Amino acid sequence: MTAPTARPANAPLPGLSFPPKAVFDAQALPAAVSAALWRGDQLGSAVARVFPSGFEALDAVLPGGGWPGHSLTEILIAHSGTLEWRLLGSLLRDVCAAGRSVVLVGPPRQPHVPGLRLAGLNDKQLVWIQAETPAERLWSAEQLIKANACGALIAWLPQVRAEQIRRLQVLAAGCEAPVFVCRPASAAQESSAAPLRLLARVGLDWELLVDVFKRKGPPLEATLRLPSVPAGLQNILTPRLRLPSALLPREPVRVLIVDREAEHALVRTPVAPAERRHRIPH
Amino acid sequence: MLWSALLLPPPSDDTASPIEPATLQALAIWALQFTPRVALADDAVLMEVAGSVRLFGGRRALRDRVWGEGQELGVCQLAWAPNSLAALALARAGRENGLRGLHAWLDALPMTVLSAVRPHALTLAHIGCRTLGDVRALPRGGMARRFDKALLHALDQAYGLAPEVHTWVDLPETFEARLELVFRVDEASALLFGARRLLLQMCGWLAARHSGVTAFTLFWSHDVMRSREAGEGGQLTVGTAEPMRDVEHLCRLLAEHLDKVELAAPVGDLRLSPDTVHRLKESSASLLPDNAVHQGETLHLVLERLAARLGPERVLRPVLTEDHRQEWMCRWQAAPLALPRKAAPGPELPQPTFVLPLPLRLAMRGNRPIYQGELQLLAGPQRVEGGWWDRVASVSSEDAEATRYVARDYWVALSALAGVLWVFQTRLDEAPAWYLHGHFA
Repeated sequence: MTAPTARPANAPLPGLSFPPKAVFDAQALPAAVSAALWRGDQLGSAVARVFPSGFEALDAVLPGGGWPGHSLTEILIAHSGTLEWRLLGSLLRDVCAAGRSVVLVGPPRQPHVPGLRLAGLNDKQLVWIQAETPAERLWSAEQLIKANACGALIAWLPQVRAEQIRRLQVLAAGCEAPVFVCRPASAAQESSAAPLRLLARVGLDWELLVDVFKRKGPPLEATLRLPSVPAGLQNILTPRLRLPSALLPREPVRVLIVDREAEHALVRTPVAPAERRHRIPH
Repeated sequence: MLWSALLLPPPSDDTASPIEPATLQALAIWALQFTPRVALADDAVLMEVAGSVRLFGGRRALRDRVWGEGQELGVCQLAWAPNSLAALALARAGRENGLRGLHAWLDALPMTVLSAVRPHALTLAHIGCRTLGDVRALPRGGMARRFDKALLHALDQAYGLAPEVHTWVDLPETFEARLELVFRVDEASALLFGARRLLLQMCGWLAARHSGVTAFTLFWSHDVMRSREAGEGGQLTVGTAEPMRDVEHLCRLLAEHLDKVELAAPVGDLRLSPDTVHRLKESSASLLPDNAVHQGETLHLVLERLAARLGPERVLRPVLTEDHRQEWMCRWQAAPLALPRKAAPGPELPQPTFVLPLPLRLAMRGNRPIYQGELQLLAGPQRVEGGWWDRVASVSSEDAEATRYVARDYWVALSALAGVLWVFQTRLDEAPAWYLHGHFA
């Protein structure tokens, strides 16, 4: 592409903008084509059905405004089994309410149904596949995706290679339900065929910190802070407990929550220590 | 009238030897799923399918299905004609379609394609007849006097001038199919090839009875050359959750089960019989596409396949029980088992969403428990006590009356790295200790 002389003023990514002659009118295309088309500087729109995530801030940055069906979504979690239900709870509640099944392949710990019921899930719709070895996990996930029979599929695949993810993604194109693959945070360094990848951590003040680092559209720089109180705890939170970070012992570990560069945060001095001291309860 | 003839190849190169009646009967049972009007001929099965064309999606679809499945059952030639003798004649001559211009086609066929001609074939050949057309051109009066009545009658029937009478094949009440394998099979998974043929027959029988199977057994007998320890043979019973007659699904299930079987000796002979047969509710083959109908397999079929490979104790559904001790609040049972109709009420107090199978004892720093950083207790205690009534057979002999008694104070705790945790402190112990028992994930 030649260097554009007259660049559109509102193009956020100059490298991807077209010279004026090459700009085409998206309105001129048939509706089905223009819906499936997205430019690199825009947020992609959903071709397939999407499922609202329950978090407005997250919906706003996801292509199409929710968890995508017909596709694979990767959720990277540093400590597996710490936030899955909080992040996906709203979606799973809708799935259960629609009478579809939620299938779990190889969760890191035993799901506790009384707690899930408080989160709005129906225990009759829950199926737990105890797949242990990586091969079993992959095979079970593949069979379930191929069958296109469940309402939502969550597979914990701690050891999975890029070509295996690609295979699942190709199969997931034929699966109406959203498919989630939970992987360790170290997988963020590897490439993956999943069109949507998130890195999620638990924040101290009843929030989830989510980085959407791969999506159909420009990469998202900011970390999303999604307010999320685990189901059942909403009723017992006193005003004092609304900000638990103020209660924690005063250790450098606390600074970990500040932003995404956790490693750098360790060497930093705690943010505004004087201000924090006031908040410590009597 | 739409007649189809399914011709079986002669059992050996010697064309004179007749086909075993059992083979014909097996094919006829399979054919009964298409129509109740099935008749046997010398070396073929004849069926009249004019009434079934719409049910099976048109002539083309019906022909493709009959030919596809028939080939697996050993059919070597298929022919269609307005009457059964013509269909049989066309099949023997190797031509499939005789629905248009039948007379011209029949005239050109060699005369021995009709069974009734064969006794007089030599005589007819001597007077210069080669084809059916030649035979038909002979004067009727002379033929009736010189040859028997059957020849003239068969000719009239084949050309559609005289009505036909058939003895229909009855659908047997029970089903059992045997198959002698062409070669000895050493590996269990290779039995599937032969078993598929038997499954096709069984599914045809089930379709004719409007039924489905929930359990079937595959028996195999070992070759005569087996070693003495190997025994006579073995068997494998495969169960399904719902009545079913889908060949593909049954085949996949059988394949998963056969993978785990180790044969003691080479197998020469297979037998298949359905164990429990239930009526099956038919799905509507409606003209208009129904959007509500789900595309793809249903969930229980997939779960069945997963259970066949992983083991039924690893494909689970939860059942809530009325207990306040966390370990026994919920039990997991194999997915096909029925859930209780009335669900136990869930707890109203906070409960974690992931639990550890065994509580994990936490290290202490000062008087605070540690789990990936010091824990901050947020809310509690929720006191759980009881279980003296829950006696279990004790593991150690000195403690004869072991009970699952617990006395715990549960707290919601916060860890900087691990999120919100569910921890408890034991009470009534000499040394109260902290344990991790769950995650609010």
